[in-house]
Amino acid sequence: MADVVFSNVQKTFGTFTAVRDLDLTIRSGEFVSLLGPSGCGKTTTLRMLAGLEFPTGGTISIDGKVVNDTAPGKRDIAMVFQSYALYPHMTVAKNIAYPLKKRGVPAAERDQMVAKAAEMLQLTPLLNRKPGQLSGGQQQRVALGRALVRDPKVFLLDEPLSNLDAKLRGYMRAELVELHARLGRTMVYVTHDQLEAMTMSDRIAIMLNGDLQQFAPPQEVYRFPANRFVAGFIGTPSMNLIDGELTRAGSGWRFCAASLDVPVGPLNDMAQPGPACLGMRPESLSLGAGEQMAKVLLVEQTGHENIVTLQFAGQIRLTARTTAAQDLQMGADVAFAIDTSALHVFGPGETGPRLNRLLENKSSETDGQT
Amino acid sequence: MTRRILFNLFAWSIVLAVAFPLFWMVVTSIKPQFELFRRPPTILPETVTFEHYWRLLKETNFLIYFRNSVVLSVATTVTVVSIATLGAYSLVRFRYRGRESLAFLVLFTYLLPSVVLIIPLYLMLVTLGLANSILSLVIAYTTFALPYALWLLRSFMAGIPEDLESAALVDGASRLGAFWDVILPQLLPGIISTALFTFILSWNEYLFALVLINSDSARPLTTGVMNMLVSSFNIEWSLLMAASVMMSVPLIIVFAFLQSYLTRGFGAGGVKG
Repeated sequence: MADVVFSNVQKTFGTFTAVRDLDLTIRSGEFVSLLGPSGCGKTTTLRMLAGLEFPTGGTISIDGKVVNDTAPGKRDIAMVFQSYALYPHMTVAKNIAYPLKKRGVPAAERDQMVAKAAEMLQLTPLLNRKPGQLSGGQQQRVALGRALVRDPKVFLLDEPLSNLDAKLRGYMRAELVELHARLGRTMVYVTHDQLEAMTMSDRIAIMLNGDLQQFAPPQEVYRFPANRFVAGFIGTPSMNLIDGELTRAGSGWRFCAASLDVPVGPLNDMAQPGPACLGMRPESLSLGAGEQMAKVLLVEQTGHENIVTLQFAGQIRLTARTTAAQDLQMGADVAFAIDTSALHVFGPGETGPRLNRLLENKSSETDGQT
Repeated sequence: MTRRILFNLFAWSIVLAVAFPLFWMVVTSIKPQFELFRRPPTILPETVTFEHYWRLLKETNFLIYFRNSVVLSVATTVTVVSIATLGAYSLVRFRYRGRESLAFLVLFTYLLPSVVLIIPLYLMLVTLGLANSILSLVIAYTTFALPYALWLLRSFMAGIPEDLESAALVDGASRLGAFWDVILPQLLPGIISTALFTFILSWNEYLFALVLINSDSARPLTTGVMNMLVSSFNIEWSLLMAASVMMSVPLIIVFAFLQSYLTRGFGAGGVKG
């Protein structure tokens, strides 16, 4: 069991900054996802934790010990790579035994531990095969086996599911969650897939351009996104974001864009009259009744619900979520209402900060918040 | 149909043209002396004799030259492959200033005709007191085999996923350990084709051996055999052909065993992650 602390960590490649002033505390036994689009610095962060990259500044500690200058093999971590990185010339058994061998575990004990790990992952019949003779899912299991065989303090997983097909991915997701529960080890998981991050993690660290945007449990990230980027990145279909103007209205605020003019709840001290961004989840729009009118552009049926794309006030596009029973014709006009109690307001710019006062204190409870 | 027949005829005539000297070499080496210059010549020998081989082994320096060639080629191959493997690893894995220019500079030296280098190299080796030794040839061959070997291995090395090495490092291997356990086995086809290339090159080399060596104890097969059997007045054809056959045998054996690796090698990058 070990906690992992990034303290003011910096990584530059030449003039390019991959990770900027990262402060992040991962508690012992926690499952944390590093989430973000490609090039956001999540893999670099993981590789620094593994010891495969060296931070340009700041410190990284595992279990209270600064590991900046510790070789990867001495950090007591295990890593699963996106490509699995199985040794092609070794059998499955030898692949799994390799980290034990490198640590001088005697052969007899090694065989026992390999057999145990193989049984746990249902690899026993495959032990004498080479990686090239295995399917993607089986290779994935071998990579996991190699990681968990020696019971490391911290597991690092770099997009381990991205090379699997959708069905297997869903299955392996559940397996990993179960494995985490069983082993109780700290796990750091890198992904660009927000569904993986949401379903598996205790907390999610969302990154963009080398900066940490928010570090919070999945529900909090979803309900109280720290800024505009997080709001748009988390959730499928993604949140509707509308650029407009914020104006004072007595003691409260109003948001206007084209023909839309809605009251927004109490805002925090950062709010100023002027350009701002309104966010609403597709589920906060209800179709069929209400004072706003929009044109149905597209209806996507997913089976148990429909995702509807609307055109509103000429150029604004909105996505709404309705029940599959609701019958909507493409091209028809439809009335809709907005649940004003579930609106998000953000400052201008790509990472415009959250301006809602509602539960604003909530985010300061979590560590590592930017 | 006729096109196919014509094509086949063409292909076979080329095969025959290439193979005939080899065939003639073998046939001449087993003909008795009196049959050699008969007109019209006999295609297949009427009497088969191994007396030339016997004489070569018993009465001449052939075995010394053969040993020299083996020592020379093996030493050159080991040196070139060791340096080129580590050099290629450095060029592919590490980031440092001048890395690319260094690689191109190495290739550039390969573009110089080796004849240009003989005299300076000879003078240098004389100054070092190494002239007239097998070591001098090892050094000379290394200078012109290394650039090509480095480039060949570099392309092989680039085909090995870096993740493999990272995984070994995380699994507890040192950098050298990861290189030994993971990189080398992956690089094996590349190493074998590079080694073959270097071995053939040093086994067959003539010009440097002629210039740098003039003592019988250090001569390799190429110059040794010529020196021994070809003089201004006489060429010992039967012995020459027997020597040629025996010179070719080691290469043929090596080729036969490593052929599959060699073809894999020339389709470079065929290393699967």
